Amino acid sequence: MNVKIDGKYYSGNKGETLLELARRNEIEIPSLCYKEGFEGLGRCRLCLVEVIEGNSTKTVSSCVYPIRDGIEVLTNTKNIVNMRKDIIFLLLLRTPNNGYIRKLAEEYGVKAPSRYLDMEREEDCILCGLCVKACEKLGTNAISLVNRGITKKVSTPYDDASKDCIGCGACAEVCPTNAISLVEQDGKRIIWNKTFDLISCTRCGKCYSTEEVLHHIDEQLGVKTQEYLCESCSRRLVGEKFKEAFQNLI
Amino acid sequence: MNDIYDEKMEILVCCGTGCLANNSYRVYERFKEILGEESEVAVKPLIKATGCNGLCEKGPVVKILPKEIAYFKVLPDDVDDIVEKTVLKGEIVDRLLYFDVNERKRIVSHKDASFYKHQHKIALRNIGEIDPLCIGDYLKRDGYRALAKALFEMTPDQVIGEVERSGLRGRGGAGFPTGRKWNICSTYESFPKYVVCNGDEGDPGAFMDRSIMEGDPHTVIEGMIICGYAIGSNRGFLYIRDEYDLALKNMQAAIDNAREFGYLGSNILESSFEFDLEIVRGGGAFVCGESSALMASIEGNIGEPRAKYIRSVEKGLWDKPTVLNNVETWANIPPIIINGAEWFNKIGIEGNSGTKVFSLVGKVKNTGLVEVPMGTKLNELVYQIGGGIIRDRPFKAVQTGGPSGGCIPKEYMDISLDFESLDKIGSMMGSGGVIVMDDTTCMVEVARYYMEFLSEESCGKCTTCREGINTMLKILENITIGEGQLDDIDLLLQLGETIKEASLCALGKTAPNPVLTTIRYFRHEYLEHIKEKRCSAGVCKDLTTYYIDSELCTGCGLCSRRCPVAAIDGKLKEPHIIDRDICTKCGNCFTVCPRNAVKVGGANYEC
Amino acid sequence: MDVLANSRVMDMAIDIKGDYNDSMDIIERYPREKRYTLAILQDIQRKYDFIPREVMVLMSDYLGMPISDIYSMATFYKALSLKPKGKYIIKLCNGTACHIRGSESIREELETILNISPGETTEDGLFSIEVVNCIGACALAPVMLINEKYYGGLTEEKVKAIIDGIKEGHR
Repeated sequence: MNVKIDGKYYSGNKGETLLELARRNEIEIPSLCYKEGFEGLGRCRLCLVEVIEGNSTKTVSSCVYPIRDGIEVLTNTKNIVNMRKDIIFLLLLRTPNNGYIRKLAEEYGVKAPSRYLDMEREEDCILCGLCVKACEKLGTNAISLVNRGITKKVSTPYDDASKDCIGCGACAEVCPTNAISLVEQDGKRIIWNKTFDLISCTRCGKCYSTEEVLHHIDEQLGVKTQEYLCESCSRRLVGEKFKEAFQNLI
Repeated sequence: MNDIYDEKMEILVCCGTGCLANNSYRVYERFKEILGEESEVAVKPLIKATGCNGLCEKGPVVKILPKEIAYFKVLPDDVDDIVEKTVLKGEIVDRLLYFDVNERKRIVSHKDASFYKHQHKIALRNIGEIDPLCIGDYLKRDGYRALAKALFEMTPDQVIGEVERSGLRGRGGAGFPTGRKWNICSTYESFPKYVVCNGDEGDPGAFMDRSIMEGDPHTVIEGMIICGYAIGSNRGFLYIRDEYDLALKNMQAAIDNAREFGYLGSNILESSFEFDLEIVRGGGAFVCGESSALMASIEGNIGEPRAKYIRSVEKGLWDKPTVLNNVETWANIPPIIINGAEWFNKIGIEGNSGTKVFSLVGKVKNTGLVEVPMGTKLNELVYQIGGGIIRDRPFKAVQTGGPSGGCIPKEYMDISLDFESLDKIGSMMGSGGVIVMDDTTCMVEVARYYMEFLSEESCGKCTTCREGINTMLKILENITIGEGQLDDIDLLLQLGETIKEASLCALGKTAPNPVLTTIRYFRHEYLEHIKEKRCSAGVCKDLTTYYIDSELCTGCGLCSRRCPVAAIDGKLKEPHIIDRDICTKCGNCFTVCPRNAVKVGGANYEC
Repeated sequence: MDVLANSRVMDMAIDIKGDYNDSMDIIERYPREKRYTLAILQDIQRKYDFIPREVMVLMSDYLGMPISDIYSMATFYKALSLKPKGKYIIKLCNGTACHIRGSESIREELETILNISPGETTEDGLFSIEVVNCIGACALAPVMLINEKYYGGLTEEKVKAIIDGIKEGHR
């Protein structure tokens, strides 16, 4: 499939979205709710582009738009840039103190007049929904999108410590605005109002994961891990074993 | 057609929601008591509880056939009188007749009344004439004849062709050609396919779908079965608002009845065609009127829409080809199949064939449901059928298309009611809500009201709709309390355009319309609020003071009697005065003053 | 929600049968399929006037669905509520027709008489106020519904009389 983006032709695969094609070819389209390996969500609207097909021009969000042969795409028209600015403006009103959004606003030269800005607002979440998707992919489903409209938020049921949360922190990992609080101290991890004991690596002693995560992995793989190893130790172990096997060979 | 009902007297008591709320079921019961099997009275008319007659303002409505006598605002106590005079002696009870405000006289048959005589009923053809719980009544009026015709005299392609040629367009708002939708869906070789009815009517001020489901449920069922046959589907769903108790009850009863009579289920009318229907109750979310959100809701998810770059006719419910139409669209199918595409095409105007049901509400004399040919002029709707503005106050605007529609000013009163004309002036057809506003309606406040509605009803999925509407709402709130600034108008326009263009679904894409159209046609009201801190409609209380013009006041004392807080003082036949410290700005004095001596001043008005 | 917003409820939820004994009868009326979640929630709402937390746990077990998904549904749809409602639920229509015929002042009057805001329930558990969008009875505007009964053409005086009447009948 041939797609013309900003004047150049690219060849795309069937089923690919416009944003995937662009990313593969290192064409810059901003986005907040897209993450490689996740399906497009179409929530943040920042990845808008113009698509020309035949006689019609339309604005689409590239993360969910399946490419079609022969379309022409413009990623940076004045209209598109202005809309992106408005979207950033709206996000800035929502999260006036968030570092990432403020940086983005600066990059795009978006200034919100002070009479519209409520600097008291302590909100960092832009409701991109990536955390919920990550939790779902792990099969834990501890958090979900609750309420609707302007009161929508991400939370565990009743904002309580959820029996389903394993404290893996995947949600915090994928969050584009660092909105999910994950605190680690004194061998404990606190996330989503739940406190977990951290397991330390049997080799180096570094705290690296929660017991619930390790159980979850065992359950998913159907095995029982004998030794708890942190990432670097387990990598080192694999290396040692390989070396050993190699030496035995000669 | 020969039947036992010929010439026999029938008493039809309207039991639509509007009339029920005014005690019409008591009226029905009273007739049954006096004239039922047990009674001594010699005449035994058929007494039926029907669906909505449309003129809800004047309910409960009672019609007596075959003489076509219609009585309005009938109380249970009036029943004895009706029986004694009309049923037994054939006399007319004058005081219960319809008073035509246009012709200034009482009218015997409702069909001669201005409200009814300009109407052309297709979708509403049976409502008010039949007992919705009685399948026999429906059969008597050609019910399920279209289904038999489709099954035995037409191929699926011919059915689709007929609907395509009729020019019928979706009555839910978007106006997509119904036949084309069916046609595209029929080409996908992926099964099962689904037929869905959108009965999640959510536009504030619209109740046409409710009336159809309550008053003529079988026509919706018949339309859906015919579509199932045409596209090769055996399964359908009706998504109905949970608040619509009576619609749910009547619809379920009709489905059961249709199954019993062999119109639903396997081997329909021995044709070997199989089709069945199931009701899904909506959960109270306006966004579920959007087709992809509605389907998500049927599947057991929250009602978040998805991007529709792949259409639901290809991948809809459970990713299978799906035809979704709105209640009114379904109600048009059986007559089209029976009478043919040419018949339907002759009604209405080119490109907009057939009729449209409007719910005419707000500051209009005859509130009710109205079905007129497409292309009818707006002023005919408001003045001829609607009888004009309540208390004959000055007309200000008409809002069409529900919360995503626009406000139409006086200059466009002769606009033709069709999809394209309404789009062109920034409004839309929507599902057919027509809300009439007079000089006591503030257009800035109306825009604020719609933004408030939509900010609560937005699903919250995409940034522009969720944050954008909320931001517009805050700006409008500021303007209505006197804290607006001039550049607010520009920001509203700018955000409005972005929200329209960048939002994910139709809710967001149309949400700014009420703001954009009010700025376009009523900018002076915005300026008045911002610059003069004044709301001349007297709605925004922070920007309103009432005062009495002593030159005009005759001292009749009406205002002072109607004031709930005793803020008006004055001797009889002498000019009165409003005490501002006590006044709660309810506006009663303003509306009752026969001399228009009560005036509206701005926030800082000095007498 | 506040009375229940406590994690201990979660733990005891599994074996709670006492108060919500009948809820299993409602749940089991439907096949174990995700698409019946909303229907079950609506029936539960009708039965208890809210969605008890314990029932959500039972549903999650029965349907094999994460409780977070059920909670997500229960908070998305307006017909469902997490808080117990009053014996008389006043649904004040704020559809456009009602709005421009003065439903705002009716709301103010209700708030004054009952001393609660929309979404709240009176202390004696008798009344809840809900402001709803168009109930399709525009000819009666401004209109409200109290437990399925319509009251149309409202004025401030009428509202007071209606509420007083209900209170009186309840004494």
